[in-house]
Amino acid sequence: MATLERLEWYDIARSTNWTPTYVTEDELFPPELSGAEGLPMTAWEAYDEPYKQTFPEYVKVQREKDAGAYSVKAALERSNMYANADPGWISVMKAHYGAIARGEYSASTAEARMARFGKAPGMRNMATLGMMDEIRHGQIQLFFPHELCPKDRQFDWAHKAFDTDEWGIIAARHLFDDMFTTRDAVGVALMLTFAFETGFTNMQFLGLAADAAQVGDWTFSSLISSIQTDESRHAQIGGPLVTVLVENGRKDEAQRLVDVGIWRAWRLFSVLTGPIMDYYTPLDHRKQSFKEFMQEWIVAQFERALLDLGLERPWYWDEFMHQIDTQHHGQHLGVWFWRPTVWWNPAAGVSPEERDWLEEKYPGWNATWGTCWDVITDNLLDGKVELTYPETLPVVCNMCQLPINTTPGPAWQVRDFPLEHEGRVYHFCSEPCRWVFEIEPSRYAGHLSLIDRFLAGMIQPMDLSGGLQYMGLAPGEIGDDAHAYAWVDKVRAARERRAS
Amino acid sequence: MALFPLTSNFEEDFVLQLLAVDTDHTMDQVAAAAAHHSVGRRVADRPGQVMRVRRQGSTDPFPRSMTVIESGLAPMECIEVVWEQPVLAAAGGAA
Repeated sequence: MATLERLEWYDIARSTNWTPTYVTEDELFPPELSGAEGLPMTAWEAYDEPYKQTFPEYVKVQREKDAGAYSVKAALERSNMYANADPGWISVMKAHYGAIARGEYSASTAEARMARFGKAPGMRNMATLGMMDEIRHGQIQLFFPHELCPKDRQFDWAHKAFDTDEWGIIAARHLFDDMFTTRDAVGVALMLTFAFETGFTNMQFLGLAADAAQVGDWTFSSLISSIQTDESRHAQIGGPLVTVLVENGRKDEAQRLVDVGIWRAWRLFSVLTGPIMDYYTPLDHRKQSFKEFMQEWIVAQFERALLDLGLERPWYWDEFMHQIDTQHHGQHLGVWFWRPTVWWNPAAGVSPEERDWLEEKYPGWNATWGTCWDVITDNLLDGKVELTYPETLPVVCNMCQLPINTTPGPAWQVRDFPLEHEGRVYHFCSEPCRWVFEIEPSRYAGHLSLIDRFLAGMIQPMDLSGGLQYMGLAPGEIGDDAHAYAWVDKVRAARERRAS
Repeated sequence: MALFPLTSNFEEDFVLQLLAVDTDHTMDQVAAAAAHHSVGRRVADRPGQVMRVRRQGSTDPFPRSMTVIESGLAPMECIEVVWEQPVLAAAGGAA
């Protein structure tokens, strides 16, 4: 018997909507879980996505992907990559695994919401595959670092991080809980797959895989590539949804959720990806600055996608462009200065040649961020290491949960963006983070930032040791300078050369 | 006399920091407490200059001898700590 070509039967097989008779449509798809915006079933049935993958194809391709990634890992297990890698690169892996691996499960929950409650049959089909993708991403990103745990206890944070109240994890969890696990199917599709994945992670994983290959870490590179190919498929769920919403008069609702999603995703990327690209990756292996990467791969491509689908640039676009130039420098300086509070060893990335690179890529860096690093460097040269550690906490934003910071030096621009809501004053890092709160305060009002918890007496004793204990950071896990301050010797040598 | 939390925004530093002061502290004491977490850590000292405290967004600093409780600052309100030439500081101190 002749077999039909896939495209001859795919649309019919995927059309799994029916008219319920034993329950109402709203009982089958509760609006609070479908987020269907009151659109009729016919509108949802117009939803179409480009991949049109079948389950047998999915299983075959995924098996091949897993076999590829695991075979590279097995082949390289006896290599000396870990022993020979630059400590900055090791920190990239630690930060990545801890912040992302368990978050994949939140993404799986989100995909499951679309798989069950999405009213578009095509969305449900794609999300079923996406749900399995995210389970795979969680598993594989826990398994790969596991072999490194005996070598370095900080790798244990690949699994441990999400069970702690470490400040970076509070930030990641706040975002993942907001955008992945507590949204209806439409919200998830717009915020996770469109804003977060199409906008950021799909390209970010491409860049990260390339960086790993550059430094010779083929195991990590093949792992990330394997994940990225899944992302590029299931990230397509959101785009066709935008089309359905725009064509049915729901553009404003789509725009609002996309705007929230882009901003929130950007804030997390400013602390995770920016420092990795511009400070941790060894200078010889840097292809692009973070700003160049963002402008080429994220801004230009995503902006086009937004406009092509009938949406507008988010209202905060100018602020977004400004932050691409500045924000990750502050996040990096903060992470390094409060380095005992992270589970990896931040690479300072401010040796003389690295500072030259930063000045070239970010004209004015020396006159702004450089002024803070000058004081830090002088203290290390003078043996005043204690002054390179904090004795208080940074004030964090009540939305992104990250330290409130911006450009220092003579161009000093730091400020608080406060808001009083029902008798409580909240502090935000920027207008967009405050705006996200203002459009739906009941969603966020009850959350306590790390500072709120400290002031409520939940962190005892009220000093660094109490803070580290609260964050679950044990001796042997707390961060320190990735290169054991070897970069300071380069500064000393450069100054001696100039003086002689 | 009680512990009082403020948000410190020190001139030319890059980040807002939690600042624990006392309600009876003068603005000079508040400035010194803020400086402890910024000056010599990420901000270069300016010998001979005086540090003044003002509300975020204000151009007028509080009088130097005014106490926290007298200032009307709210818990965790953001203060800016800025450098001032000694001659100006003397005038402000008399205010």
